[in-house]
Amino acid sequence: MDYLFDALEGMDFTLLYGAVLRYIFPILAVIVLGRCAKSLLTFRREAEIWAWLRLPTGDRLPVTHWESLIGRGKNCDISVDYPTVSRTHAVLTRYDDGSWSIGDVGSKGGVEVGRRPVPFCAVSYGDVISLGGVDLHLLPVTEEEQSRQTSNRTRPGRNIKPSVTLFYLTLFQLLTALQLLLVVDPEEVSQVIISFGGLAVLEWALFWSMRAFRRTGYEVETIAFFLTTLGLAVIASSAPSELIKQLISAFMGLAAYLCIGWSLRDLERAKRVRYLASALGIGLLLLNLAFGSEQYGAKNWIYIGGVSFQPSEVVKLCFIFAGASTLDRLMAKRNLLLFIAYSGIICACLALMNDFGTALIFFTAFLVIAYLRSGDFATLALICAGTGFAGILALRFRPYVLRRFAAWGHIWEDPLGTGFQQTRSLMCLASGGLFGLGAGQGWLKYVAAADTDLVFAMVAEEWGLLIAVITVLAIVCLCVFVVRSAPVGRSSFYTIGACAAATILLVQTLLNVFGTIDFVPLTGVTFPFISNGGSSMISSWGLLAFLKAADTRQNASFAIRLPGRHQTEEATT
Amino acid sequence: MRNVAKRSFAALILAGILLLGLLSFLVLYFVKGAAWAVFPGSPHVYTGGNLDSGVITDRSGVVLLDSTDGRSYAQDPALRKATLHLLGDREGYIAAPLLGKYADELVGYSPISGTYSLSGQNSTAKLTISAEAQAAALEQLAGRSGSVGVYNYKTGEILCAASSPTYDPDNVPDIAGDTTGAYDGVYVNRFFNASFVPGSIFKLVTAAAALENLPNLEERIFQCDGSFNVEGDDVNCNNVHGTVDLQTALAKSCNVVFGELALELGPDTLTQYAEKLGVTERFSVDGFKTQAGFFDLTDAPTVDIAWAGIGQYTDLINPCGYLRLMGVIAGGGEAAEPYLMEQVDAKKLTASYHASPRRTGRLLEKSTCQTLTAMMRNNVVSTYGTASFPDLAVCAKSGTAEVGGGLLPHATFAGFIADADYPLAFIVVVENAGSGSEVCASIAGTVLQHCVDVLDDEQFG
Repeated sequence: MDYLFDALEGMDFTLLYGAVLRYIFPILAVIVLGRCAKSLLTFRREAEIWAWLRLPTGDRLPVTHWESLIGRGKNCDISVDYPTVSRTHAVLTRYDDGSWSIGDVGSKGGVEVGRRPVPFCAVSYGDVISLGGVDLHLLPVTEEEQSRQTSNRTRPGRNIKPSVTLFYLTLFQLLTALQLLLVVDPEEVSQVIISFGGLAVLEWALFWSMRAFRRTGYEVETIAFFLTTLGLAVIASSAPSELIKQLISAFMGLAAYLCIGWSLRDLERAKRVRYLASALGIGLLLLNLAFGSEQYGAKNWIYIGGVSFQPSEVVKLCFIFAGASTLDRLMAKRNLLLFIAYSGIICACLALMNDFGTALIFFTAFLVIAYLRSGDFATLALICAGTGFAGILALRFRPYVLRRFAAWGHIWEDPLGTGFQQTRSLMCLASGGLFGLGAGQGWLKYVAAADTDLVFAMVAEEWGLLIAVITVLAIVCLCVFVVRSAPVGRSSFYTIGACAAATILLVQTLLNVFGTIDFVPLTGVTFPFISNGGSSMISSWGLLAFLKAADTRQNASFAIRLPGRHQTEEATT
Repeated sequence: MRNVAKRSFAALILAGILLLGLLSFLVLYFVKGAAWAVFPGSPHVYTGGNLDSGVITDRSGVVLLDSTDGRSYAQDPALRKATLHLLGDREGYIAAPLLGKYADELVGYSPISGTYSLSGQNSTAKLTISAEAQAAALEQLAGRSGSVGVYNYKTGEILCAASSPTYDPDNVPDIAGDTTGAYDGVYVNRFFNASFVPGSIFKLVTAAAALENLPNLEERIFQCDGSFNVEGDDVNCNNVHGTVDLQTALAKSCNVVFGELALELGPDTLTQYAEKLGVTERFSVDGFKTQAGFFDLTDAPTVDIAWAGIGQYTDLINPCGYLRLMGVIAGGGEAAEPYLMEQVDAKKLTASYHASPRRTGRLLEKSTCQTLTAMMRNNVVSTYGTASFPDLAVCAKSGTAEVGGGLLPHATFAGFIADADYPLAFIVVVENAGSGSEVCASIAGTVLQHCVDVLDDEQFG
């Protein structure tokens, strides 16, 4: 006891507060992420039934997607095992307004609707669809079946209340803000209060408005807000004057999130936005090439009226729109070739800007999208080889990139030169231990790009390696959720979009974290939601909207329209 | 849709890579985190070029260095000078590998809490050095270049590791502008990082090899006529000793006898003993990497084999390495490995350090060491005189190492106290100072007496 009192004597409140909190923070972080992860990763995958197909035998097969591949093959969504049906025969598509169509995808036996052979045709309930002579009847889901399904499917938040999770997060934010208030300069006190208070208001406002729309899934947003909180804490330490800017960025990000979510809500609308977004993507990069200015060797910034802006961040969102595609279009090879060409132009623009980190993100996203669309390893391997070759050639002409590659793996040999950023990162990361030195107590903030490219180390230094690891796990959690949701996705447009968004989040995290710890060359890529930067924050939230559009759990997502709205209302009241 | 869902696992591959990388980084963190945290220049533990190493005291608690707020050295200027080569300077001209070695303990690093410290209290480290002996050694060297080392051959504690010339880090002289030569090689730690021509103290190696390899050596009678001829070249002795036995030959430091013994043993056996006894070994003492000695008879003319056996030719010894050899003889063929850091108290539950002595293992037969001990005691009694160490059973061998170039020879003196209560080995090297025992015996006597007093205080209060 004496030892304890001796230790406590003469110690100020700041120290004591930090001493207790450094153990509370990881616990809260584990609770917040744990609750979100449990909810996201353990939900029962219950298919939504949109219609029935009656076989000649009288059996009814459920149609569980908006786009269903029909054929004899095992991998078809609706497997019709008759010898005259081709392995992949036709795609049955549902539209937002509840209408249906059928399209032949190169079958031998052909598709007939109402006994007339058609390559592509609208279908109404009761129509006879004949695939290679096998008659199928499209039957509607009755209102009773619909309402039973709606009430039987599990809603998120029933077992793990999102409001409780959000409460823990708010507690985390409150404690963080208090700790920061003890260490920041007096003139920055108001900024800390406004930014953290603003963030808390933002997250609860979004929560309640979602509630008002009877949407109960809030895990993905909670994770994003958690990471944003850490981002604010890091900025409060490294550049307090940029706190408000970051809060505004988060607000704009949220707006982007709602807009994109809304546009995705209606598949027809999303498909229209698609062309616009693709054009916008190329346009922005060309604009960047023409008017961009250089920072840290990469020419990826545009200044307009004193506001700096990184177009490539927004292009990420455009790229996903361009890459996502509905099943009927997937079957045509021409579409993939177009997408390959599009990706090539995007990557070439980025390479011209010297932004190899972002180019790598797009390339990985391209690979994932192309694989999702085609499943064709051979073509992808060819593209990889070609790109690798081009990459090596590009490196020869880019001494700046080559320097970074040269430092990679040799940072301790030149700790004051080329290895400066990474060696300081590792020194500070190790100094922080598992629990960190406390918010605002770090040193890494004095190193260039500490709160962006090196933010993983800065979080580890001030918040501890445990929380730094949790941030990475949070991103991984989002990705696993997307993959888990894929089998119950409505349209491949959403599934591809969500996978691409998750991939971009993952690759960004990977390049950021591994670059900081010298596992890969430092490429100057931001950590989603955490890194200081408005463009990055907005694009991170935008990516989140694609995740949200693939969340088909009952009443989970605002970006998903409820099936049979009227019936649902009756069922809930 | 089913195909698309299946293919979505591609995204999981990336997640797997990320997780795998993160996991391997965590392993790396626990293995290398300490090294990262205390890497020179690490912002949380370095101030300028110096490690924030807490408080460092000598074995009795005398503060040698306090880096709580900047670097404060010992209060006594003499002590500051005497310990500079162990603790390093502020500017980084003199490194402090001792502090580097225990950097993680000194800054209180642990993988769990990093460098965080709630109490803000610094670590305290205790060296095996005796400030008193260290200061006495420097005073005795009186501005001459050289080194004095004393260590406890039973426990391994180094009580004295003095290096001269040195300077006061709180009052740095104009070293670059010095023309007197008083600061030549001032940045070198002559105890750990220098090697010297040993002169006749090397005869102990030759004697040990001879005792273990030539039969009936102690009964043999040798004839010294003041020199002997090897293939046309003379090996000169310091005197005409007439008929002598081995003990007398060592006491008189007879070059003829030891030259002949060296030839009898041959280059291979001599080299084997020089290596076995650690003369040519580069070893590590709490961060200090010793300068290896030198002994190489490859292609040596026969006469030089004789010269090598009497500590000339190209022979070089390192004071610390030779001190350990003295310990081995005193310890009956094996001794404790010397060390400097007794303990580090990190003021935390983790991250503290306590020395755990290591031993050299058997290097010589016990009987060989008993014979050598008796002969070295005889050296003191019959040749050097016991006046310098009236109350101590000192056994020793002196050397007067010719360095050529018209310079005075190095005076060397090495030995130990054959007393279980004061198991101390010592070495004294004074550069260009003249005759070995004349110069060194009183230095050794004074420093040893200080060490003995310290041990007395510790044992009997």
